[in-house]
Amino acid sequence: MTRKSVLLGLAALALAAIAAGGALSATTSVTITTPKANQKVSQKQNPYLAVAGTATFADTTAGTTRFFLRRDGCGTSSDNPHLSVTSGTDGGDGCGLIFNAVAGPGGDVAPQAAFIDFPASDGMPLAYNGTQPVNGQISLTGAQVGLAEVDVDLQALVGGNAVDLGSATGSAVLDPTGASTPVPFTIQPNVSLDGSDLQALDLRVTVHGPNVYSGFIALGGASWADLPSYTASVNKTVLVSVDDNTFSNPVAARLSGTSWSVAIPAPSIGKHTIYAESTQGFSTSAPTSVTFNVTK
Amino acid sequence: MRKPLILLILGAVMLFGGATSAGAAASSHHPLYMPNASNMSNPALQPPPVCCIPVYQVAAGVPAPVNMAYFGGHVQVTPKIYLVFWGWGQSGAFNHTTPGMPTYDPDGAAARMTNFVSAMGGTAWAGVSTQYYETVNGQNVYIQNPSNVLGGVWYDNTNPIHNNVSGLELAQEAQRAVAHFGVTDLDNAQFVIAQPQLYNEAGFNSGAGYCAWHDYTQPQYYPGVQPGISFTNMPYVLNSGTGCGENSVNTGYFAGRLDGFTIVVGHEIEETITDPGAEDVINGQNLGGWYDFSAWENGDKCAWVGYTDGIAPPSTVPGGLNNITGSDGKQYPVQSLWSNDSAGGTGWCAGAGDDLPVTG
Repeated sequence: MTRKSVLLGLAALALAAIAAGGALSATTSVTITTPKANQKVSQKQNPYLAVAGTATFADTTAGTTRFFLRRDGCGTSSDNPHLSVTSGTDGGDGCGLIFNAVAGPGGDVAPQAAFIDFPASDGMPLAYNGTQPVNGQISLTGAQVGLAEVDVDLQALVGGNAVDLGSATGSAVLDPTGASTPVPFTIQPNVSLDGSDLQALDLRVTVHGPNVYSGFIALGGASWADLPSYTASVNKTVLVSVDDNTFSNPVAARLSGTSWSVAIPAPSIGKHTIYAESTQGFSTSAPTSVTFNVTK
Repeated sequence: MRKPLILLILGAVMLFGGATSAGAAASSHHPLYMPNASNMSNPALQPPPVCCIPVYQVAAGVPAPVNMAYFGGHVQVTPKIYLVFWGWGQSGAFNHTTPGMPTYDPDGAAARMTNFVSAMGGTAWAGVSTQYYETVNGQNVYIQNPSNVLGGVWYDNTNPIHNNVSGLELAQEAQRAVAHFGVTDLDNAQFVIAQPQLYNEAGFNSGAGYCAWHDYTQPQYYPGVQPGISFTNMPYVLNSGTGCGENSVNTGYFAGRLDGFTIVVGHEIEETITDPGAEDVINGQNLGGWYDFSAWENGDKCAWVGYTDGIAPPSTVPGGLNNITGSDGKQYPVQSLWSNDSAGGTGWCAGAGDDLPVTG
């Protein structure tokens, strides 16, 4: 590879990373402003202790994250069909759709025939924006002509559980003279999952049609899905813990902008340490603490 | 060494073909394999037949006929299952991470198996085994179906694992688990030695064609290991994909990705409950519990019923793979288990919620 092509490749990677804002790790931090260090708090006058502070979170602007369909090889154990937020040359570009006794005979057959799973290999976690549709296209190339249908099913992992983001069918009349024929699809918004932090993602693609017996999904940037996303998780918390830096039994604070507060029962008389940490999705801040004295 | 051993035993059984019981062979032993969905008829993975009966070839995806018999060994009347996740937290155990999931369990497989064993007690599926018994002083003592069968969970990251571990090493880990949990009632205890993605048992890695096996420690076959431990070799079956049950019950990439873990571990657990002695014959004494005269246990006879490798569900075959509801209200995919009582006593695969209409 020449130096110029390396630089171009790096630039493309950088641009893709920017476009894939949801994949960037969020950062959050927290401070405690009340009580002050070494402050004396009267238990008699304060049966409840006010704890407050500030927290910063990464921006959660709505946008989209593009996932390209990619494949490393053809017909080997290293095929590795996957989704990636970066595009490039795919070793598996031109892999024929598999039509056989196991996958299905081709043509207009049952939906389970000849599906290919494209699990995301990067871009996770993703803060999902369920108020907008998922748009994309699967480009088909091959000698076939006539109507082709593409079924797409988008599934994700949320909280360790499988969830369906939605499915759709796109269709197009294939043009055997063109480089490829894009088959656009739109998956309707899934409002119930809006704001979910996706841990993993898979796009299952099934190609079928009365004349589809060969051909392949065009890769190298020709097939993709745009997932509506936030640039960082919208799930933000500040947790407070008394005398326990493992946060085994934390109390959640109330957030208001960059401020947070919570009232906790005043601890017993003596010296105590309050710990606080903030979380944004799967990102957790470094804990902060303050030590104070409870008096009679 | 395992294959030559099987051939040797097979030869011995054929030599003594006129005998009428398993006791004819002074000693015999073999791990009891669960073939993957493509190897149900692989002769290398079949147990040697007990005696005298021609070995039937079972077509893939259908139950194996003929009821099981009791061979005189003990059963697990009040089973306790101990899960050992050997080396899951060790460096190099996995090649990936998943946001929000523990690094020692990025696919959730350990959690799934733990939840399943926690919730399987008391279900109708586990209840299939209650028709089987052991005979003690002339009295038949039946297997029970208690609500809590999980004896304990151990993430052993102290004793190093490596790839291509041997059966002996698994048995040694089982012995360490006996000590770790302080188990004294070995007759009712079984140890599942679950391996992480990148450190698995050699035969599984080699593509021998099985998903798991269970066995029983005896000094002749596991030298240096405490005798009488029932244990399961439970590889990371997701490595074998659809052959070991991925997406065999539940459709969708994530919804069915872990199907194989509960199907396979459930198969081995229930076989161990009804045949903890793993068909061993030691000095003429049969330690085996329940199996048929082709030496198929309750799990073998119903493995992969209704399933064709790689073809999406649902199964519509009675006794086919299916989801059951655990005591925690969650769904767990399992295979059915052979029930002598089903089909009016003819026997059929049962317990997975899709039984034949006629049940005994």
